[in-house]
Formats: sequence, structure tokens, C-alpha cells
Amino acid sequence: MRYLTGLLLACVPLLAQPPVQPPAPRRPGNSFLISRSVPDPAAVQRGRKTFVAACGFCHGSNANGGEGGPDLIRSVLALDDEGGDQIGPVILKGRPDKGMPGFPMTGEQIKDIAAFLRARQQAAIDRGSYVIQNIVTGDAKRGEAYFNGAGRCSTCHSPTGDLAGVAKKYEPVALQSRFLYPQIRTFPGRGGNAAPRKNPTLVTVTLSSGQKFSGALESLDDFNVALREPSGDYHSFERNAGMKVDVRDPLAAHEELLQKYTDADMHDILAYLVTLK
Amino acid sequence: MKQMWGRLITCRRLLIGVSLATLHWTSRFSIGRRLPTCATLFVVSLCAQTLDPSKLLKQPTDTWPTYNGDYSGRRFSPLTKINSSNVSSMTLSWVYRLNTGTPSAGGGFGTQIKSTPLEVNGVLYFAVPDHAWAVDARTGRELWHYRWETHGGIHLGNRGFGMYGDWLYFETPDNYLICLNARDGTERWHVEIADVKQEYFSTPAPVVIRNHIIVGVGGDSLDVPGFLESRDPETGKLQWRWNTTPRKGEPGAETWPNADAMAHGGGMTWLPGTYDPELNLYYLGTGNPNPVHAGQGRKGDNLWTCSIVALNPDTGKLAWYFQASPHDTHDWDAVETPVLIDGKIDGQPRKLLAQASRNGYFFVLDRTNGKNVLSTPFIPINWAKGVDAKGQPIPDPDKDPKTDGTLIVPSSDGATNWPAPSFDPDTGLFYVNTVTSYSVFYLTDTDDKPEGYGGRDAGVFSKRALQAIDYQSGKTRWSHQYAGRGGGMSGILTTAGKLLFTGDPTGNLIAYDPATGGILWHARLTAPVSNGPMTYELDGRQYLVVGAGDTLYAFTMLRE
Repeated sequence: MRYLTGLLLACVPLLAQPPVQPPAPRRPGNSFLISRSVPDPAAVQRGRKTFVAACGFCHGSNANGGEGGPDLIRSVLALDDEGGDQIGPVILKGRPDKGMPGFPMTGEQIKDIAAFLRARQQAAIDRGSYVIQNIVTGDAKRGEAYFNGAGRCSTCHSPTGDLAGVAKKYEPVALQSRFLYPQIRTFPGRGGNAAPRKNPTLVTVTLSSGQKFSGALESLDDFNVALREPSGDYHSFERNAGMKVDVRDPLAAHEELLQKYTDADMHDILAYLVTLK
Repeated sequence: MKQMWGRLITCRRLLIGVSLATLHWTSRFSIGRRLPTCATLFVVSLCAQTLDPSKLLKQPTDTWPTYNGDYSGRRFSPLTKINSSNVSSMTLSWVYRLNTGTPSAGGGFGTQIKSTPLEVNGVLYFAVPDHAWAVDARTGRELWHYRWETHGGIHLGNRGFGMYGDWLYFETPDNYLICLNARDGTERWHVEIADVKQEYFSTPAPVVIRNHIIVGVGGDSLDVPGFLESRDPETGKLQWRWNTTPRKGEPGAETWPNADAMAHGGGMTWLPGTYDPELNLYYLGTGNPNPVHAGQGRKGDNLWTCSIVALNPDTGKLAWYFQASPHDTHDWDAVETPVLIDGKIDGQPRKLLAQASRNGYFFVLDRTNGKNVLSTPFIPINWAKGVDAKGQPIPDPDKDPKTDGTLIVPSSDGATNWPAPSFDPDTGLFYVNTVTSYSVFYLTDTDDKPEGYGGRDAGVFSKRALQAIDYQSGKTRWSHQYAGRGGGMSGILTTAGKLLFTGDPTGNLIAYDPATGGILWHARLTAPVSNGPMTYELDGRQYLVVGAGDTLYAFTMLRE
């Protein structure tokens, strides 16, 4: 359903942070997906205990449905609730027609349960906080063989050189994203990771006069090219028929490999890279 | 129509009523015929802003009355004042930069003009979430600015207006359908069409067919069921509702494991569809099923998600369907514009429908019955085992999201997305901006009954191109690879002036030769083109208007 949010959601946490963390309590506005107020974490904890003890048997300890009781995460009544105003009467009076007894709870306990349910709803809504499970499932030996063989990774990289200790620097999910294509993306307006690439794309512009300019590619489209020389000088040119623009992308081999990897190759390479501690 | 007669009080309204009723009659029984000229002129002369309903059945010239310009979705203009021989002298006419007055109008996305403005009687109407404007189409001068006090919802985008008589209709992130007076932007009424607390949010431009205001909804966060509704233009009352997933015992239910999965099955209706007045069928692409990436709780094809459907706009009844992605687990909504082509296959005239779908397939269907003519990938996809006897892709279960990840082409953002394609009847080519992207799809919720997205994908790479696809063969006739990586995606316009207009990812508005892909003109804007370019002619002068971020740009030929 979403448009151009997948990359944004996936990459910011993956590339910037160790990814496997329980979702931290969020304030309103932390995620564009959460538009309602975020409950107090202490109330959520109290509500969880009360809920598991009193409601968990029927509704499941995570509130996603259990023995006879419906899912409360996607329940319209629970979603409409504000501070217990909708679920309170149901808790107190029960639903005798559906076999649910009433529970004599205090107003505070009901509010805490409401906080817990809101937190569970928001955990399902906020896909950017989903926890990725173990992804190191491949065979390190096969991965090493691919690294030195079919993948020709060893042409540019070495486990004792640039990749020494790489597994200490990155959690597996970030490592997987980075070896597939090691570009650091930026997301305007979203606080994305703006760290510059270590190995920028290099470009040489040869004018019709024969004069040459070489440096890091700053921008390129069908009409203009701009670069920054090692000295820091910036140059911009209008492209024309007499001009040569040679782009040398150090990541070209990564782009080619994307078309060749099987999922097993990808898992094997990761299994190998995580041994480089 | 009876209800409308009862509400007609003034002479002016009566005449509009007559003209709309006439249109109803003519479009049903003598296709595409014009209204009685005197009635049309009389109505227009009585209110300077009223939309003459006969304009809805014509190619867009002095009027651009719908999101796509006309019902066909071709985004092809017959105008030729700006053409391939003079476009090199096209120049800026005016600029309008919007100011919402609030920092939050775009949510985390910035304020972007994704709506294609309507142009009716010399006024442009467009919107962003919670805000709508009218500006003078000749000068860009602001006529009014309407603000909606939001109750929440995801502020991702707004595709703009539908228009009926004097009235404009648009939807909000908190799922209200709002009716405005075109003359001054005052609100006539608003009605709630979905509950924001269930995580619905609404972005489409309503589509007006006779006295039906057809509205859709979005929202994937919490597994709500999708639907399409028709609302009364005078009151906003419900006329019919079509559910994108079946209810228990209904046809299609056999493609779901149980009633609970259907009731939480998604299938959003977040882009405007197209309409064939002769067949009286409304064509719509539906969104992905829910939970989005975790398919284990919804085994089966999951009708009518990720489908192209044909509905009767008077009743909301389904005439036929074609499923672009059976049992989708990659978020590949099939909402992209179903473009209506009157073409030839094997020398025979055919009524066709073509879609470049988010999953990477180009589909051509017979739009009288939904039968497949061709299904051809337009980027090198890796998730399908081919197509079945009906022409529907067969997903490879090995390429479903897995806990340790599967590497998929394209990413969840798709091989293309909502930005409008175009079909040029002069070249016979279908134009679409495409992305070849790679992404790792992770399953995060392994429960038997997962919830929400149930997974996520990590985009690792993308490159973009403008492709011209031959609708008869599905082959890409020419392709223009954009330099650089990433960036925005723009809609496309073609014209009888032998021009194709679109934006590149870095912020250039470009005019191409639609036959060859050669570049004829360009201008660098402040942001990538964020909507579909549109065009109109006033006082003998043709204008080209595009939205780029928070700014509308109008171009025209140098004045003599």
C-alpha cells in the first residue's frame, strides 16, 4: 500500500543501528505511522501483568486472540477506546451472551489495560520497529568459497584487510544490506543517515578541448555533470556532444552480483562474513 | 436521479440537473453524444465555474476535468500549439508556491503536490493532505485556500479532486469526503467514509460518473478490509459499496482460508480508476492483501486483492476481474492506472485495457470481459514461475518473505508505482517510469495468525528508466535509463504535438520525442516532478502545468 516508504523504513534502522532491539517506548511523532498518543510505558507494564493474569487465557497473553476470546489488537472497540472508556464497561459487565464473565477491576486497572492494548496495537502498526529474527542460517564454508570463487569478492576485499573485524562493527542485518550494496542512503526530511561514502563514484570529464577534470561525482543527469576534485574545488559542466564523461563506479561489481545471487548464496556469504570478528 | 430533482430549487440548478440527466441518458443509450448545445451553453453562462458534464466524455482541450484528464486514463492531449517543432522555445509562464501555514501537512514526507490539478473554465483546482487551492490557470494567482482540521491519519499524499457541476470533492487523511463550492472554496458538507482509528487513511481523487461520486480508501497498518463506495453528489450519502474481499459464503471466499482472514484481508482502493461509457464499466486496480508480508494466515489467491476489476458504476456490481498478483506477499498493489486503449490485436479492432503493474508485469486485457491478451515482465523480475492459463503470474513460494530474507526484484515499492503512465494513440506506445530495484524481504511474524505487515523489506539498490512499451507485443520499444541512482518518480503526459512530458529523478522536467525517446527540451525545477503533467488551452494559448514538491510550474510558448 505504501509508496516509497519501504526503503526508508527498512534502511534507516538497519544501516544506522544494531537492529535487534525490543521496540523502545515512543513519543508521538517518532514514527509517521503512529498518529495517536503513545501510552506511558509504566502503565503498559502494569496493564500487561493484569491482562495476562485476568484476560490472557481467553484473549492470548499478547492480546491477539486465544481460547475462545477474540483478537483485541485489531478489535474495532479496542481501537476506538480512549483510556478505557470503551473496554471498561465490557471488562466490568462481561459479555454473558458470548461466555465472557465480568471482572471487578478498579478504574486504574482498566486504564492500565487500555494502555497495554494501545501499545500492542502500535507495535503491530509501527512496522519500522519489527524485530528481524536470526538471519545467519547459511554455510560459512560455502560462503568463503563463493567469496574467493564465483563471487570474485576477493578481487577487491580481504578478510584480513578491509573486512577484518567487520562482524564486530555491524549486526548481521546491517551486514547483509551492506555487502549486497554498500551505499549509505539519505532520506531528506526523515533524519536519515547522511554519512558520506568512503569510496565515492569517480568521474573524469574530458572537454572537447582535451582538458580533463577528475574527482568525486557530485551530480549527473542527462544535461549536466558536477564533480569535486581532490583539492576540494567544485566544477560543473553542461554535457554536450564533444564531451566525454567517464564514470567509474566502485560498486559496479556489487550491482552485477545482485543479478546473480541465489538466496542460498546470500545466506552463505553472510554466514562467512559474521565469522570475521 | 429522483433525489436530485427534489433538491433542485433554483433555476440554475434545475438546468444543471437537466444537463446531468441528459448526460446520464446519452451515455447509457447513445454513447458519447454531445448534450444539446443550448442547454450546455446556458448552464455555463449562468455560473462561470460550473463544469459542463459533457466535457467528461471528451478528450481534454480547454478543460481537464478529472485526475487523468478524461475517463480513459491515457493522459493523451489532442493539443498541438506546443509541439515537437517549437518546444525548444517553450518558456516559464508562471509559478505558484503553496503555503499550508502548518508544518505538518506532509507528515514526515514534506508537502508534495501529488494531485493532478483539474482545469475548468480557466481555474486550476488541486490539493495536498488537508489543504485545497484554486488558482487562476492563466496567471497562477490564488483564488482560495481551503483548510481541513485533521483528526489524524497518515499524511502521505492526496491525488486531488473530482468535480460535479459547481462542486468539488476531495478526501482527507482522516477519511472524510469533503464537498467544496468551486467559486469560493467554502465547504458545503463533509461525511466520514472510514474510521481513522482503524488506521484507514484516504488519498485518491474521487471519480465522478454521472451522479456517482466514487471514493476509495487506503491503510495497511492493521489489516482492515478495503472497499470502494459511490456517494451522492448532493448529500454525500452512500449509494453503493463494493468490498474488495468477499464475505462468508460469497463468490471468492474459496480463495481465503476463513472468514476472519477475509475480514482482515486488505485490498485498498487508493488510486482513481478509469471508465468506458459505452460498456458502462468502471475499471479499478486494488491493493495488496493483509497482513502484507506474512501470508501464512491467508493461504489462497486472496480475491479481489491485487486485481484489476470491472464494476458497474450504477450498482457497484462486479462484472469481471483479473488478478495481477495472486496471494501477494510483497506489497505490490495493482492499483496502477488501468489505461483504456482502443487498438488492434492481430489486425482486429479491440477494446483493451493495459496496466504496467507494480509487480513488474505489463498486462493487456480485453476490457469487455477481462480475458488476458498478454502478460509480459517489463523489468527482469525473479519472483514468478511464469503465468497460468488465465495469464495471471504464478508466484514462486520460495520467493515469499522468509525469516532470514529473500532477495527480490522488485522491492516493495515496485517496478513502478502510482505516478501516472500514458498511452499515445499516434505511436501506439504505452509509457511508464520504471524502477529495477533489489530488496531483501524478511518475515518477522511467524505466528499462525500474523498481524499488521508481519514483515519488512530492506531496499538495497534501484535504478530508474522511462520505458515505451508496444501494447501489441508487450516489448519495450525504447528505454531511457536515467543517470544516477534513486530519486523521485513522475507521471507522464503525451500530446498530439508529438511530445512526451515527464520528470527525471533529479528534478528536470523533460520533453521527449515519443517515437524515439530523443530529448527535445528540459528545465531544472526546484524538486523532482511529483505529480502527472497536464495541459490545457485558453485564449488560443497552450499551457503545460506540473507540480514539483510544493510548487506548481506553468509553461507556454514564448509570446510573439
